[in-house]
Amino acid sequence: MRLIFDGIKNLIIGLLTTAKHLGRHNICIQYPEEKYTMPERSRGIVVLLSDKETGKLNCTACMLCMRSCPTSAIQIESHKDEETKKRVLDEFVVNFNLCCFCGLCEEACNFAAIKMATMYEFSTWNKEDLVWNKDKLQETGRDVPYEKPVRKKPVAKKTAAKTDEKPADKPKAVAADPNPDEKEVEKPAEPEKKTEVEPKTEPDKADDKAGGEEQK
Amino acid sequence: MAELKTEEFVVNMGPHHPSTHGVCRFVLTMDGEVIVKVEPVIGYLHRALEKICENRTYAQCIPVLDRFEYCTSMSCNQVFALATEKLAGIEVPERAEYIRVIMLELNRIASHLIWLGTTSLDLGALTPFLYAFREREDIMDLFEMTCGQRLTYNYIRVGGVAKDIPKEFIPKAKQFLSTFDSKVDDYEKVLTENPIFMTRNQNIGVMSPELAIAYGVSGPNLRASGVKFDLRRDDPYSIYDRFKFNIPTGQNGDCYDRYRVRMQEMRESAKIVRQAIEQLPEGEISAKFNPIVFKAPAGELYSRIENSRGEMGVYLQSRDKEKKPLRVKLRGSSYNHLQAMPHLLKGHKIADVVAVMASLDIIMPDVDR
Amino acid sequence: MEITGIFEYLYELLIGTGLPQVWVDIIAYAFAAVVVFGFLCIVALFLVWLERKASAHFQQRLGPMRTGWHGWRQTVHDAIKLLRKEDITPYAVDRNVFYWAPIICFVAAFMAYLVIPFGDGLIVSDLNIGILFILGITTFTIISLLMAGWGSNNKYALLGGMRSAAQVVSYEVPMVVSILAVIVFVGSLSMVDIVQSQAKIYQWYVFRMPFGPIAFITYIIAATAETNRTPFDIPEAEQELVAGFNVEYSGMKFAMFFLAEFVNMFTVSAIGATLFLGGWQGPWLPSWMWFMGKTLFLVCILMWFRWTYPRLRVDHLMEFSWKFLIPVAFVNLILAGFMKYSGWFNW
Repeated sequence: MRLIFDGIKNLIIGLLTTAKHLGRHNICIQYPEEKYTMPERSRGIVVLLSDKETGKLNCTACMLCMRSCPTSAIQIESHKDEETKKRVLDEFVVNFNLCCFCGLCEEACNFAAIKMATMYEFSTWNKEDLVWNKDKLQETGRDVPYEKPVRKKPVAKKTAAKTDEKPADKPKAVAADPNPDEKEVEKPAEPEKKTEVEPKTEPDKADDKAGGEEQK
Repeated sequence: MAELKTEEFVVNMGPHHPSTHGVCRFVLTMDGEVIVKVEPVIGYLHRALEKICENRTYAQCIPVLDRFEYCTSMSCNQVFALATEKLAGIEVPERAEYIRVIMLELNRIASHLIWLGTTSLDLGALTPFLYAFREREDIMDLFEMTCGQRLTYNYIRVGGVAKDIPKEFIPKAKQFLSTFDSKVDDYEKVLTENPIFMTRNQNIGVMSPELAIAYGVSGPNLRASGVKFDLRRDDPYSIYDRFKFNIPTGQNGDCYDRYRVRMQEMRESAKIVRQAIEQLPEGEISAKFNPIVFKAPAGELYSRIENSRGEMGVYLQSRDKEKKPLRVKLRGSSYNHLQAMPHLLKGHKIADVVAVMASLDIIMPDVDR
Repeated sequence: MEITGIFEYLYELLIGTGLPQVWVDIIAYAFAAVVVFGFLCIVALFLVWLERKASAHFQQRLGPMRTGWHGWRQTVHDAIKLLRKEDITPYAVDRNVFYWAPIICFVAAFMAYLVIPFGDGLIVSDLNIGILFILGITTFTIISLLMAGWGSNNKYALLGGMRSAAQVVSYEVPMVVSILAVIVFVGSLSMVDIVQSQAKIYQWYVFRMPFGPIAFITYIIAATAETNRTPFDIPEAEQELVAGFNVEYSGMKFAMFFLAEFVNMFTVSAIGATLFLGGWQGPWLPSWMWFMGKTLFLVCILMWFRWTYPRLRVDHLMEFSWKFLIPVAFVNLILAGFMKYSGWFNW
């Protein structure tokens, strides 16, 4: 008998718990009329960033993103310009059929050239349309806000000009940077990567540094 | 009167079925309504992850292994990062360890919510599914604001974590935790003492402790059979020895006990997250690790963690000064649980296949990799 | 808003045309059948929409929103879709049995409305065996389930059909016995008499302690099982292995089974409202409004059960009926008889 009463009581408690939800505000948003604002770190589509004043791509064809991509979704073609001895980007293709949206390319880039924007609505009717080339990536990335990374001068290399700008810039300094574009959170990560890269004598890395500084 | 001739017949519970957790096929031999033999057929979700990892650098393995068990992607990242760090002798900073623990426990809660939703859906109570996923939305919002993704995070890296938690994270996490316990109470009110739910789950799929240990069952399934074994306490990794939490166990090892153990584990994970948020120190979030040029020393080791489903392990082998691992062997807990299932289902009815699979919390990516 | 007035006016018109009485009667009944049929189609459509909205709000979401204001036209769109679907008849089925099963189910569901009082004077035909007629008609559904299971030439459909037939048969008994407890008090099987014996609210049979509430609860549980709704919805459960008797049906035949389920739900709620909640009795509002209100209240309770409880396993279901509900219903019947003939509580 006790069992029966317990059973009935718990059945009724279950009913009341479900009924409690009738009065609650619904938690659905009706897409596409209402859209969810994505957080800024949200990993959506890959875009190429351009300089805000000149409009040229920030990319220096260092191929770091291509080497970090786990699915080989990025293909880069470049050639070395004979006069300036720098690398020039010919073609930058991202195949979104392969991209797994992991964000490793964005983290590998030292030049703020590639970023994952928050856009997620780019479905197409056939697979070929998901292979985006440099122009389309640049076009989509025009309005994406970004911060230029802190470029610490390499200690090992002795370059003549522009060393007085940041002589006291220590890798772990967080506050008091004259450059207003900096985000505090990113800085501890960036300089650490650079301290790793600089002492190594790999030739292409050194070239990148030289090329990057002169661009800036 | 002559003997009535009866025959056993074979029924196929095919790979495409709304209640199997993933794609798994069962070939059931039945005598009327009673099951005589169960044969699981797997391999429908095999993606050759172990082979893929042999051709990827250590940093690139992390997003690949995200897909190893996508309901608890943080744990997959963690186990691999732990293995590589042990191999190469990398020390993880304090703040990174605390952030890792917060993320792992939140992911455990999210995974248990998926389990709760799908279990009640399989048994016919269609509403707790929506409630569990409503809670999970809050957790996924937290993850999205930190690492950018909702399911495959690629956040816990070798050496630490990828990015620091944003300043909105802690207030939102505290807000989530303040209402979470009452929501778990809500689920318990609808399900735990419900006589229909109890009759469907009690004395179904009873797993004795000896059977559990013989099959290598781990996690909440093992604890529900009475064996108090939790890797976070008995083989502590990361900084789990700094937190106070209980380890719920059951007595009978039936589906009902497994249900209760997991409900209690959700509450314990919430406790751990609260303690970790309070004790969170300042500091760096990653050790010095260059993902592109990292070369591991030679060696082989097995590292394991307590995943929400059981013991998840990675056996990592590497040659000297190689960017890519030689062999990555993944140990998924659901593989062992699926092996134990035919033993548990002898003498039960068809409707119990669904109940037992749901309560063992078997998901096929863990089985097939 | 006198609906009876409209019908009487139309009847007068018919008589005024001078046809022989037989023809007048035939036309009048045919017209009544068409009206009831139309009403029930609208009610079935409305109930499907209500179910979807109720389930959505229990789960804190929205339900259909795009097709009309809050999606009221959704069922119309679904019906059109089902009409346009290809009507597949598998190769080796037993043609006649396969074809007639949904029709019998549909017809049985609608025939019960001959004797349901929609309001004061709004009843198609006041048979003096009203409630017995309804109970006989609802038994027809079992035949159609077995026909569907057999005719599909599919072992799973046969198993499912037999299981649902077993379920419906075993829950018929408590339903009938709990209705009998009320009939003992009324003394007549006619639906109109039953309603008229509940003139005051304290006379409603649900309030006549102690047998009333027990009979009511037994009736509700048996009614849920009769109409194959959760927690007794083994025949419809997608998560179970055996898909049920309607696995081979597609298109309009499937729509007939589906609509018949909702019409059945309305029928059992209407019977419950008539027997236990006072039918069309009530102050101020027109009688048909009271009837609809009470019936919809019971329909909402059935939907509430569906979205809260998990499903019972087949053997638990049968055990529950034979070992628990039937003894309770019989004891209740004896109690009701005792109360009636001892004169206590006889107000």
